[in-house]
Amino acid sequence: MNTDSQRLHSLDAVRGFALLLGVAFHAALSFMPGWPPGIWAMNDNSPSQFLSDAGFVTHIFRMSLFFFIAGYFARLLYHKLGARGFWANRGLRIAVPLVAGWVVLFPIIGYVWTAGITKVFGGAPPAMPEMPKVPGAFPLTHLWFLYQLLTLYVAVTLLRAVFERMGDAPKQKLRALADAGISGALRLNIGVFTFGIPVAAALVSLPIWFYWQGIPTPDQSLIPQLPATVGFFTAFVIGWLVNRSSDALTILAKKWWVNLAFAVIATGWLLHVVHTTPMATPGTTRTVYAYVFGVAIWAWSLGLTGAALRFLSNYSAVRRYIADASYWIYLAHLPVVAAFQVWAGHWPLHWSVKYPFILVASFAVLFLSYHLLVRPSFIGQLLNGRKYPLRKPKQDPAAASVPISPLPHDKGNGSSVATLRGITKKYGTNVALSGVDIELRPGELLAVLGPNGAGKTTAISLWLGLTEPDAGEVTLLGGSPQQIDRRRGLGVMMQDVEMYKELKVRELVALASSYYTNPLPVEDTLHRSGITALADKPYGKLSGGQKRQAQFAVAICGRPRVLFLDEPTVGLDVQARELLWLNVRILLAEGCSIVLTTHYLEEAESLASRVAVLARGRVIASGSVDEMRALVARRQISCETSLDAGAVRQWSGVSETRRDGARLNIVATDAEAVVRRLLTEDSNLRRLEVREAGLAEAFTALTREAA
Amino acid sequence: MNALTLDTRSDLLPPRRALAAYLTETRFEFMRMLRNPTLVIPVVLVPLALYLLFAVVIAGEAIAKDASLGVYLFAAFAVMAVTMPALFGISASLALEREMGLMRLKRAQPAPPGSWLVAKIVCGVVFCVLAYLPMLAAAILAGTLPLDAGQIVLISLALIAGSIPFCALGLMIGALVKGSAAPGYANLIYLPGCYLSGMFFPLPASMHWQTPVWPQFHITQLAMYAADVTKHQHIPVQMAIAALVGFTVLFSAVAIWRLARKG
Repeated sequence: MNTDSQRLHSLDAVRGFALLLGVAFHAALSFMPGWPPGIWAMNDNSPSQFLSDAGFVTHIFRMSLFFFIAGYFARLLYHKLGARGFWANRGLRIAVPLVAGWVVLFPIIGYVWTAGITKVFGGAPPAMPEMPKVPGAFPLTHLWFLYQLLTLYVAVTLLRAVFERMGDAPKQKLRALADAGISGALRLNIGVFTFGIPVAAALVSLPIWFYWQGIPTPDQSLIPQLPATVGFFTAFVIGWLVNRSSDALTILAKKWWVNLAFAVIATGWLLHVVHTTPMATPGTTRTVYAYVFGVAIWAWSLGLTGAALRFLSNYSAVRRYIADASYWIYLAHLPVVAAFQVWAGHWPLHWSVKYPFILVASFAVLFLSYHLLVRPSFIGQLLNGRKYPLRKPKQDPAAASVPISPLPHDKGNGSSVATLRGITKKYGTNVALSGVDIELRPGELLAVLGPNGAGKTTAISLWLGLTEPDAGEVTLLGGSPQQIDRRRGLGVMMQDVEMYKELKVRELVALASSYYTNPLPVEDTLHRSGITALADKPYGKLSGGQKRQAQFAVAICGRPRVLFLDEPTVGLDVQARELLWLNVRILLAEGCSIVLTTHYLEEAESLASRVAVLARGRVIASGSVDEMRALVARRQISCETSLDAGAVRQWSGVSETRRDGARLNIVATDAEAVVRRLLTEDSNLRRLEVREAGLAEAFTALTREAA
Repeated sequence: MNALTLDTRSDLLPPRRALAAYLTETRFEFMRMLRNPTLVIPVVLVPLALYLLFAVVIAGEAIAKDASLGVYLFAAFAVMAVTMPALFGISASLALEREMGLMRLKRAQPAPPGSWLVAKIVCGVVFCVLAYLPMLAAAILAGTLPLDAGQIVLISLALIAGSIPFCALGLMIGALVKGSAAPGYANLIYLPGCYLSGMFFPLPASMHWQTPVWPQFHITQLAMYAADVTKHQHIPVQMAIAALVGFTVLFSAVAIWRLARKG
């Protein structure tokens, strides 16, 4: 539920952004270099190539982005209210503002335009051009988008009606196809390159087309225009399908920067062409341009939506207010913006002063009018579905009624330093970890044991933030190991890592020390690790064991609070191993917590406070070394006897037998009973020994059981 | 995201220590380069030898008649000199370091996310300067670079700055492919660009539409503006700069993204 509402917050923000971008776009239109007088309300005396380029870029995508989000919300509403409720709602929110808005705005716009054009022509404006005498011609002004929206609602309602008449099987097939199609297209980045093809084809078919204008604005006719209808219908339908899809938004949020990178590249090329050849004559360039334009539309739309999902998913009162205000602001902005443009048009000032002025002044008027006239009144009720009293009560109803995303709370209570909770991690089809829970407590050494391929290194990688789990939660020092500040508290010695062979040991330690907030002095690190004598040797010239020692020095140089040692003593001679063990004990005494993976069981037995045994990606046992022994409750019986090993294996209380020359080795769960029976059955039995099973036997028995 | 309640302040790297981490990383990267001179020699010698052959021996007379040809050829080979060490040096070393597991270790350790990036780019640029200076000296001595001192400084700055996107391209390739494959992929991207960008010979008009795709085109354009050769200026200088910045951002972003996931 929360994730849903978070998503709606982000998409609301995107819709608001697209609309406010439209205001900024129109505010730039009086500064277009080379536009003949009369095309816009004003031709400013300080034209700007920069604003022309910026306007072009925003114009590529802002309406398509709007219709994409509109499609998303349309399906949401359709499924919430049903067809009848949907149309009642849309009638109030879209059709009424279209009609009422046009009636009020058209004369005002006409007045401002007349004033502006009179000023541009120095008091003697030419006669206004007549509307073209073709069927359907109508000056929709900037409200065309509401009209277009209504036509899209009609189209999608008709399509739904056809769909409803289909049989259940083809319906299911179509649904599955749409879902797989949309999520595949987004996941594989195909969408960016294909969604724009229909609009590109429509643009190529135009007899006259200026590159700068992009999708020609359908504001002169009630008859749907081809490129706009094709382009915006595609956007609307894809938005609708994204709402259907279970994972499309997640994919978009992940891919935001990929799509934005495509957007930047495509836009760069489009700008290049617009600068060199503004008029599109039919030919290869025009076709390529139309296609790249389609790519740019979708790269921007998907990228910006993804970025919003990624970064703006939490509730923000300010964003919510702006998003609510954006509809009114877009409806009302045109005469306001144009009036400021006309007023400022002949000022002897640079555009970089005038444009911000027009923008700030327009937004000030528009936000103020929203706050005072719209938000508390029936207009707000009409446009946004509710009105807010001007004087707000102590509790802001907006904040109270909107589900607030849950406060981030720290699940890592103070009692563990690092945890894996319910972790599942797959590599392709290979399950490395499955439902694993492991916890490292302060000041303890946790030995993680297991045969090769049990998932030990994967567990360590998760704690180091090198990989992320498919399910479950990883914490390190109370946060996510993905946060670098958490990782500053760790030291690590990894398996299969080679360091820079050209650098000397001292340099390697100095380099690693530079990453930490409060490292040990380099000489102290070298001394503690017992490698002062190796300090000036290049790493490439060290033996295998010496390399491990250097890596240990690098692991402890930052005074870690948690130390991860992945098979640290492989290849060490006895002396070096004992020095390392000593160092580990000192670190434990200083309060450092340590995770150790090892194949050497005596290492775990001599150092570990607790043991976790992994096999086939599961924790099959965990506890103190003694608990582990008790858990398996096995004792080892050994004697010289002529009894058959296979027969003894069948006795109750015997878990395994092994013949070793004259000696028979028995692992027993009930040693007393087995010894009694041995003595009874073989009177010649000699040299009987009974001892507690070590960790090695426990480990072998456990992993065999797991297998 | 979470755990705001815990005191993380003590683990934040203060700005001075962060700066020190960047400097240390760069210093050691540079020392590694100096201790490994075998890599330097071919990258410096190949463009220089080609330049002497084509510009001095073969085209020497033509340059005496048409000064802009001299600048054009100098720019072409100088672009080669400044981009090859950046691209090939960085892609190979990064790919190797990834194979060694070093990038995983650095990430866990935890190295500041940008430090290795800055270190590699700074050293890549220094390497490019080392490859560029002999060629500049040769061109001045042979008289095949008919520019005044100010223009020589400008074109040098343009070329050296232009090596940065190639450092980033090297990072991207090094981040995407494994050890020994890196030079192969680097060539696959680099060589077509040398010809299709019109760097070595002017292209017919029908091929102009695709030139902006190649970083080589933009760095050559930058050089043409620096040397004021209007004949070979095809796009506004702002666009060439914007494209080079764009390529740098794009390539580095891919490299960082990839390394953040795969190490």
